[in-house]
Order: sequence, then C-alpha cells, then structure tokens
Amino acid sequence: RDREIIGKSIYIACIKLPKNNSSSLGEHGQMVVIPNNCLSVLNVSYTVRERVGPWWNIPSYNKKWNRQILQDVSFHIESGQLMGILGNSGSGKTTLLDAIAGRLNHKTNFLGQVYVNGRELRQEQFRNCFSYVLQNETLLSYLTIEECLTYTALLALQKHSREFIKKKVDAVMAELSLSHVANSVIGSRIFRGISDGERRRVSIAAQLLQDPKVMLLDEPTTGLDCMTANQIVWMLSELAHKGRIVIITIHQPRSELFQVFDKICIMSFGELVFCGGPSDMIRFFSGHGYTCPEHSSPFDFYVDLTSVDTQSKERELETYSRVRTISSAYKNSEIFCTTLEAIEEAKCNVKELPPVPFKCEDSPSVLCKLCILLRRTTKNLSRDKIGIIMRISQNVLFGLFVAFFLLRLNNDFLKGGVQDRIGLIYQCVAALPFTGILNALALFPALRAVADQESKDGLYQKWQMLLAYIVHFLPFSIIGVALYSVFIYWTMGLYPEVSRFGYFFAALLGPHIFGELLTLAFLGIIQNPNVVSGITLLLNIAGVLAGSGLIRSMEDMPTPIKMMSYFTFQKYASEILVVNEFSGLTFTCGHFNVSAGVVSPCTFLQGIQFIEKNFPGGPSRFTTDFLLLYAFLPALIILATISFKIRDKVILRQ
Amino acid sequence: WREKVGYNRKLRKIANPTNATRSLQDSIFCSEDNSLYFTYNGKSNVLEVRDLSYQVNVASQIPWYEKLAHLEMPWTRATDKESHMVAIRNMSFKVKSGQMLALIESSVCGKTSLFDLITCRDYGGKITSGEILINGKPTTRQLVKKCTAHVREDDRLLPNLTVKETLLFIAKLRLAKISDSERKKRVEDVIAELRLRQCANTRVGNEYIRGVSGGERRRVSIGVQLLWNPGILIFSDPTSGLDSFTAHNLVITLSRLARGNRLVLMSVHQPRSDIFQLFDLVLLMTSGITVYSGAAQDMVQYFTRMGYPCPTYSNPADFYVDLTSIDRHTEEREMESKRRVSMLAAMFHENIRHFGDHLWRSSQRDGMTPVSEPSSPLTLEETVIMNTHSDDHLPGWLQQFTILLSRQISNDFRDLSALLIRGFETLLMSLLIGFLYYGHGKSNLSIQDLSALLFMIGALIPYIVILESITKCHSERPVLYQEFEDGLYSATSYVSAKILGELPEQCFIVIVYGIPIYWLANLSPDPEHFFLNLLLLMLLTYCARIMAMWMSAMLPTLQISAFFGNALYTTFFLSGGFLISLENLWIVPSWLSKVSFVRWSFEGLMQIQLKGVTYPMTSGNVTYPISGTLVLQTMGLHSYPLYAIYLILVGMTTGFLVLYYLSLRFIKQKSNQDW
Repeated sequence: RDREIIGKSIYIACIKLPKNNSSSLGEHGQMVVIPNNCLSVLNVSYTVRERVGPWWNIPSYNKKWNRQILQDVSFHIESGQLMGILGNSGSGKTTLLDAIAGRLNHKTNFLGQVYVNGRELRQEQFRNCFSYVLQNETLLSYLTIEECLTYTALLALQKHSREFIKKKVDAVMAELSLSHVANSVIGSRIFRGISDGERRRVSIAAQLLQDPKVMLLDEPTTGLDCMTANQIVWMLSELAHKGRIVIITIHQPRSELFQVFDKICIMSFGELVFCGGPSDMIRFFSGHGYTCPEHSSPFDFYVDLTSVDTQSKERELETYSRVRTISSAYKNSEIFCTTLEAIEEAKCNVKELPPVPFKCEDSPSVLCKLCILLRRTTKNLSRDKIGIIMRISQNVLFGLFVAFFLLRLNNDFLKGGVQDRIGLIYQCVAALPFTGILNALALFPALRAVADQESKDGLYQKWQMLLAYIVHFLPFSIIGVALYSVFIYWTMGLYPEVSRFGYFFAALLGPHIFGELLTLAFLGIIQNPNVVSGITLLLNIAGVLAGSGLIRSMEDMPTPIKMMSYFTFQKYASEILVVNEFSGLTFTCGHFNVSAGVVSPCTFLQGIQFIEKNFPGGPSRFTTDFLLLYAFLPALIILATISFKIRDKVILRQ
Repeated sequence: WREKVGYNRKLRKIANPTNATRSLQDSIFCSEDNSLYFTYNGKSNVLEVRDLSYQVNVASQIPWYEKLAHLEMPWTRATDKESHMVAIRNMSFKVKSGQMLALIESSVCGKTSLFDLITCRDYGGKITSGEILINGKPTTRQLVKKCTAHVREDDRLLPNLTVKETLLFIAKLRLAKISDSERKKRVEDVIAELRLRQCANTRVGNEYIRGVSGGERRRVSIGVQLLWNPGILIFSDPTSGLDSFTAHNLVITLSRLARGNRLVLMSVHQPRSDIFQLFDLVLLMTSGITVYSGAAQDMVQYFTRMGYPCPTYSNPADFYVDLTSIDRHTEEREMESKRRVSMLAAMFHENIRHFGDHLWRSSQRDGMTPVSEPSSPLTLEETVIMNTHSDDHLPGWLQQFTILLSRQISNDFRDLSALLIRGFETLLMSLLIGFLYYGHGKSNLSIQDLSALLFMIGALIPYIVILESITKCHSERPVLYQEFEDGLYSATSYVSAKILGELPEQCFIVIVYGIPIYWLANLSPDPEHFFLNLLLLMLLTYCARIMAMWMSAMLPTLQISAFFGNALYTTFFLSGGFLISLENLWIVPSWLSKVSFVRWSFEGLMQIQLKGVTYPMTSGNVTYPISGTLVLQTMGLHSYPLYAIYLILVGMTTGFLVLYYLSLRFIKQKSNQDW
C-alpha cells in the first residue's frame, strides 16, 4: 500500500497520455487519475530444441532441430488498456504470455527484454509483478466462493488483520459481481455448483486479491457460452480501465467484442503480424487491400488472413508468403514505429516513471501457511460426503467381505486353525495398504492440481500442501482402521486380550498410512493416476509376497529377495501380527488326544512352535519391529516431500 | 445494442467495403477441385417435420450410478415440473435431396432431441404433437435404417487401422453383394470425395496415438457412413473442436455432399461468419422455438425487415443467436428476452404461412425455385454413376465373423507398445514369484511351499488379466455400440470374433508368464506335466478374461466395471481353498467356491505336480516318503480327477461366455460415457 501511495505521487510528475490509441481510450471516457504503468516487450524470441522423431526411431530421435516459437515480438501497453492476443492454435499465443510472465522453461533460448515501467525485471521479481490466470481453473470443489477467496487471501496477505482480509474479499467479490453467490459451493465435474462463468470469475478474483497492476489471462473465455464469454471480456475491460494492464489470449472472439479491446495483437507462426487499436487494424488491413467483408467478423477474417494452411505444400507456401508480406508491411508501418518510440521513451525516462508495481504480498511464515492449508483441506473434505464415507467405511466393508468367508476362527489344527489365521493376517497386510492407495488415488490428484497452480503464483510450496494433506488424512485413517480392527478382531475371535488388540490395531494402522504415502510419493513424479495405480498395486503385491513371509517363509528365500524384504513394511507388520496372535495359543488336534503321546497328523500344537519355525526370534524382536515399522512413517514422508520437490523441477520443464 | 450499431455505422464510412471482398475470402480458403466423385443416385428423398412438439424428462435421463454418487436412491424419480422440459415447440420444415439445412441453437437440447427423433432413437421423451415424415411416410426404425446415416459429434474409430483399411472393413461388412473390385472402387471414390487421398495410408489414431489430423478423422467418420450411400445424412456438430481452416473445408465437403443429390441435415454451435456464408438453408432456434428457417443469405434481410438489422462487421449467426437467446442472468432480462423471442416466433409463423415448405425466401425470388435446388447433378463432369444400389443385405454370419476377426487382429497388433508393456508387466510378476520360490538349490520345495507357489501362480495371472481386459473393452466400446446401433453385425459374430481374436495375445501372455516361473521354481521336468500346466493356465486366463468382458459389457462405466470385476475376483480368491481351508467355509461361500476359477486352477495345478510322485516329508527329525496322492487327499484336493477339472474350467468359461453374450445382446449401453 505504501508503494501505491508513492506511485501516485510520482504519477503527478509524469502524466503520459498514450499517443497512438488516444481515440479508443477517449471513447470509453474513463481516464481516471491513476499511476500510469507501462509494459514493454522488445524483440522477444524463443526457440525450443526438439527431437525430430519418436524414441523408438533412434536415428531421427538423436537428431534435434530448433523450433522457433516466438520470433522478434515487440509491443507496448499502458495502464487502462485491455489487449487481446489472437491467433490459431499453435501460433504462440500462450508462449508469449509465458514469456511476459517469466514462466518459460528454457531461459537460455529466450532472447529479448521485458520492461515494466522501463525497468528490466529480475528473475524472482516476475512472479511478484504479474498475476497469471491459467486456462483451466483449478479450485477446490467443496468450498464456497467466499471461503475459497478468504483462504487465498489468508495465504497471500496473512500479515493483515482479519477485518482487512474480510473487507478485501468483499470488495473483490463486489467488483466481479460474485456477491450474490458468495455462499454457493463451487462444484466440480461430478456435482453441480456455480456456473462456468462464475467459476472463471472466481479464479480471476483470486488473483485480484493481491492488487496486481498487470494481469495476464490465458484463454479466459474458452468453454463458456457466448453470452458469458462476452460478459467476462467486458468485465476484464472494466478492470483494465480502473488502471490495470490486462492482456488476454483469446480464441475465436465474438465480433461484438471488437470494440472492447484497446489493442489487438494477431500472432501467426510465432510472429506478431499486427498489434494496434481496432480502428487502426481496419485501416491498416484496408490500406493493404484486405477489406473485411460486411457481414463477417473482423476477428475471424483477419485471423484467417494471417494463418498458414498446411493442407498441401502449395497452399502452405502461398499462405505463408501472404503472412510474410503482411507482417513486413506492419513492421514498416507507422503503428509499429510509434510502438518502438514508446518503448525507447519509457527506457529513457525510467526516473520519471513509477517504480515497478508489485503485488501486495505479505505471506505468512511456513507454519502459518501449513495451518491455513490444513484448515482449507479439512474444510474441503468436510463437505465431501462421499469422500468421508469412503475413507471411513472402506476398510470396514473389506472386513465384512473377509468375515463373510471366515465367520469365526477355530483352534483345531485339523480344521485349518493355523491356515485360516495366516489367511486372515495375509488379507489384513495386503488389503489395508490397498485401501490407502485407493484413497490417495481418488482424492489427491484434485488437490495436486490446485497446488501446482497456486505454487506457481507463489502462494506456497507444493510440499507444504502435501504435508497439510498428510496431516489432514491421519485422523480419518485412525478412525477407519480402528473400526476395521474392532470389527475383525472381535467377530473373528482373534486372541482375546485387550492389549493384544491394541498391538493388532497399531500394526495395521501403519500399513494403511504407508500405502497412501507411497502413492503420494509416486503421484509427485508421475502425472497420470492410472499409471501410478498400476505401479503401486504391483508394488503392494510384490511387497506382500516378498516381505510378509506368510506365503513363503523367510528362511527359504534366496538371499537377494531376503535382503529386499528388509525394505518392505509388510515384513515388520506381518511379523508383529503373527507373534501377536500365535504366542501362547494352543491348538487342538481333532479327536486325537495329543497328551497321550499318540502319533498325530498335527505338526505342532503350540503357537510358539509355528513362530519358531517361520519367524525365528520373532517375539524378541517385537519392539524392534514396531520401531522399524513406524520408521517408515518419517521415511515415506521425506520421500514424498522429495518427490514433490522434484515435481517443482519437472513442472517447470514442461 | 443501439450504441454498438451506431458505432458500427461510423466504422462503415471508414472501411467502405467493396465487391472484391467475396473473392478475397474465397482466396483465403483454398478452393479445392469442386468435382464430384461419388454421388447419390437413388430416388430423391423428402424429409418433412410437421408441427412437431417434443417434451423431455431431464430427470429420467440421469443414469442410476450418477444418482448414487449424489447419495440418492437410484429408483427415486423426480416428479417435479422442472424436470419436464420442452425441447422442441411447433417445429415445421421440409427439405429435399440436394439441400443442406443447418440448425443453429446456442443450447444443445433441441438439436440432439430432433436428431434422436428423426433417427427414431428415443431417450425418454414424449412427442406431444406433430409428426416426422420421410417421403410422406411416418418414420419407423426400418425406414430410417434404410435411408439415413447419422454421424455423431465424436469420432468412434479404431485407432490403429489406416484410413483405407477402416473404410474397407466397413465396406466389407456393409456391402456384401458387390464384388471385391467394385468395393475397392467405392472406397477409393469415397476417399476422393472426402479429399482424404493424402492420408489414405496413415493410421487413424486417437488422442493418445498419433494419426491423421482432427479434421481428417472427422471426415473418416463421415466416410464410414457415406460408404453405403444413404440418401439422408445427419451430422451432429461436425465442426466442433476443429480450427477455422479445417472447419471451413469440412463444411465445403458437406455442401458438396449435398450437391451430390443427398439430403444433408447438420447442427452447428456458434458458426463463424465464413462458415455461415457456406450454408444453404438455416434454421435458427432458441430453447426449442423456431425463430427463422429459410435460406441463409436471406436471414439478414428477413431480420432487417423485422426491425433488427445486423451491424456491419459482425457475424449474423452470432448476432441473431444473441438476439434470440434467453438471458437468465437477471429476472427482468429473462422476461424481456422471452418476450422478444415469442414475438419473433409469432412474426415468423405469420410470415411463412404461405410457403409450403415452411422455409422463408425473400420476395424477389418468390415463386422461383430456391437456389438450393440441385441442377441435375448427373450432368456434372466426372460423376460416377453407381449402378448397384446399396441394399440392406448384410453378409452371412461366417463372413461377418472373419471380417471382424481380421479387423480386430490387425488393430491389436499395430499397437505393439501396449502389448509390450503388458508383456513386461507379466514377466516381472513371473520373475518375482519364480525367484521367491527358487527351486534349484540344495533341497526341493516343501509341500507347504509348493502349494503356496501353485496357488499364487493360479491367483495372480487372472488379476492382471482382469484389470487390463476391462480397460481395453471400455476403450473399444464406442465403436462397438455405434456399429450395433447401425446394425452392421450381430452380437453372435462379434462375440465369436472377439474371443478368437484375443487368442494370440492370450498365448503370448501365458507363455511369458508360465515358462519363467516353471523353470525358476524347478517344477516337475516331465514335458507332459509342463504342457498340462500351461494348458491349465491358458484355460484359467481365458476364463478370467471372459469374466472381465462380461463385467464390462454388463455395467455402465469403467469405474463400476473395474470395481465389481475386482470384487468378484477377490471373492474367487478368498474361496480359492488356500488362504481359508475349504471345509471351514460355511454354506454360501462354499457354493461360491464351486465357481471359483482360482480354486479349480489350484486343485488342478496341485494334481499335475503331485500325482504319482512320492514326496519326502519331514516330521521332527524323521524323514519319510509320502505319496503325492495322499497329500492331495489330506488337503482335500482330490475330489475330482484332473480331466474333470479341465472340463469344469471349460464349462465355467462357457458360462461366462453365455453371460457375456446375453449382456451384449440385451443390455444397451450408451456408447459415449466418460463418467
């Protein structure tokens, strides 16, 4: 806020009226006294080195070629203007926005400068200067609009008082006419919430909370019906006229929006074919013999005129040469000269221009952020009835399934007393990580998308969101596993002792949580949840087979697999469960009276014999096993955090 | 609006449009050769919609699983009035062969319902008045099948076939009577007509597999329907998702199809101005009410006469859609726009009363034949005259079967990477179990270990197969159900082709899985035992696969089929006789264990390994030989002889097959589900 006041005072010293498009500004008649910021882009070029062929075609895969995505783009825009970037898909619109926002992946291939008020920005300043609304909005679907905005405000401006944040949120909602739906739930693809247009406005509002002076929006109208799309653009133009610079890319805008834009850029094959006001545009194209027919949209007409048709070679050459002609005509035109002059002027008069307008950002400490994220995630889940029911009852449902088959354990060796117990322990060890995996796969990807986007805006880091998620699901895991354990332990008739029940529960809680954590770790580095599900399910089976020692006793395994089994949590969990159940247990042997010393078909009758045969030394390792089992908790949390740190890099490279 | 119009007047002075603009616009879009390669030569058709009103019940269209997701009981029916929506109100028009009618509406409801009605595919609506006539006869399914083709808005094609192969397979299925060379000729003609020559030998592809471009794929979908040369073509949103050039060229293609003496009906959503100019007849409707229908070029004139001129530099389609759409943002605006719409509709009704075909023409051309009337297409150069009229004679069962089989095999084997991934996954599983029970060491496996190993061998492979098979069936589903709807082949021939077509992949998977385990675990080296083992695995996977197919044919979405498939598998796994002893099962699960393929495979595998072998048994520190048969008897695995187990598995496979067939035959799944 202080910066704003300084900006205002400096502004008086340098009132700079835009020259080339004074007419369009005059029409709207909304020259309010505001600090006059400007954004200039000078000679921006960007190339990507790409491999020629797919990976299996080795000779062509090893060859690389340079693809020019942006080529020598320059423009200049000032406060109070709305600029639309047009072009067919693949013409470099979004890359241009990325370039302005400093979000390009390979900085080395980037040439040219971006100036704000005549100053070049440092790498870390980009994020604080521009706010960027992405094409696909990612919002938590069970929050109301007001909650959603309040949490974002808390994350961005925590240092301010509660009333300030409340006022700010109310003001922003009023500005985007969201007040009447403030308490509606946002909704998702599966259940209905607010309309698409309102959702788009919420994601714009989230950016406005930080009072950005430069806003970039990627395709804000895509996927909306025409009415709503028009309303969004009108609203953006209002935002611009309140002293902001607004730049949007837009695909197939409607003809009646033609006059709403203060500047229109047309991109084709990475080149800026034209950039100027709407009336300049018609004059320019008519001047070069391309008059827009009466009943057709100038947007469509000029975009088609400047796009390259790749259907056949001749057509491609023909259209490409037309594009070249038009773009060179533009480079020689008066409009382009004034642009260059304006940029030069801004560079020369740096001292007279206001400082770089940063967004308000007083982000709280890491701990505070974690608390806010935790509250937000919990609130989001608390409205998700299906999510909660799934988390709590899934394990019990599985328990019912097992109980249906087993009914009740017996102590007769000949009637499968040992076999059934092993089967039950096997099911417990295999199924609880499995349900954890399912939970993570169903609920986390949505949050991950939100974290990806908000971490780009600099609200928090991805791993902070991950930690908040982990903390928020722990109570649910405890309740879910507790219900399962109570049900299974007492209906099946496991060793009837309360302390043993406690150990049973503790030994099952771990695997359930670890299954979820493991999945989270994979979700960090692999985007596609289906692939993650395949990997984690196979890992789960492999862990049970190799680690548990229930299917194959540890002693008989080949050494490499034995070594591997030390890294599976299933090993410790099943050892605990077996020792917990079998020690002190005595079996009967059908009608044979064993004490009489008759040779019976039963190999052993004391549970401890079973432990000594299959898990030698198990009882003495009971505590160690518990320690080792729960050592997986910090280890997996660290692993997941690292994987999300890697994700930062991976996302950046995409 | 007035403000905008005023401003545009100002602009007009600056811009001064010339007559040359039209030719300029033509030059922007490539004008390909305009010749017709493939025309319709049946008798010309007339489609008439007379005073049609149609009401849909929105609530009844929500499927049960979505209701469940909202925590509602699937049998609750919303009976409130809001769920009844009027989709079409008093619609009338009459189009003939050679004309192209474009329906423009901002919402989707009316257009889809109209097309569903015309093609006699009724999804829970009610015709309250009026009728639809084709050549003067009310529509019936048979009549529609004979002369109309419906091209859906999404492309449903097998991704790994080339364009030419796709069309050739469909031609074989559809046109049984004509000779091979004629059929090839027809495919060539269709490819030429749709300008697909440059990509005829490229893979079709989909969103994951690289293939032809989006516009080309759309044209392949059109080609599939065009092959049998129907007189009436219906397109739902053909231009959606295409970029401007492709959309423009596609509409040119469609209007060329109309010139080839076909009746073309299409719906569009937000047509661009250049596309609008290509239209011949348009019907502008808003929430089911017709506001204008008639020649496209007269639309501006009509509305100007009604007092709503279209401003310069704006797209008439957009402008009039906006003018007539109902703005639901505030109540008063909604009232106002509703009033305007009803006024316009009434005016239009008044204006077209004296036109027989309910299509408005400007007065200058009154009485004259409409521009769109075809000038006998057969006089055009390069016209191909088709002597054989396509008839609805489908090939016999055996022929269908062989065509489908070769199509499926060529589609599956192109997708080598998917096959390799599956093979690799299976190999990993096999190696893991094999090494776990590595049997080449000092001593052989003990009885417990052997039985655990054999149980795991039989229990894991179905798991992998079921998961993968359900996904695959669901990805093939759109093509399948569309072709069923079109009546291309019967469920019998599909089922037989499908199960035979899976055989090569099946063999591959079983070999990759079975051999490493067998060798690593050092199981009985007798070749007879080895082959019996492989054969049993083969039967087992087949059974699991067909169960998975049944699940995916019976249940509506991928998630639900995957869930129930998994649950069924777990049931079989638990009642498999290893984890829980069979005697301990109470009555219901013991019935279940009778149909558990896991149990039978376990029993079979054990018998193969143990029968007739003596096994060293250690008890305490005494080792004594014990016969395998005795072991089997104590474990309760000797209830049936080995051959009976094979027969049981075959019987179960047949049982699942019957269920699969019945589900395919009688349960109509919607083909476009991505819930």
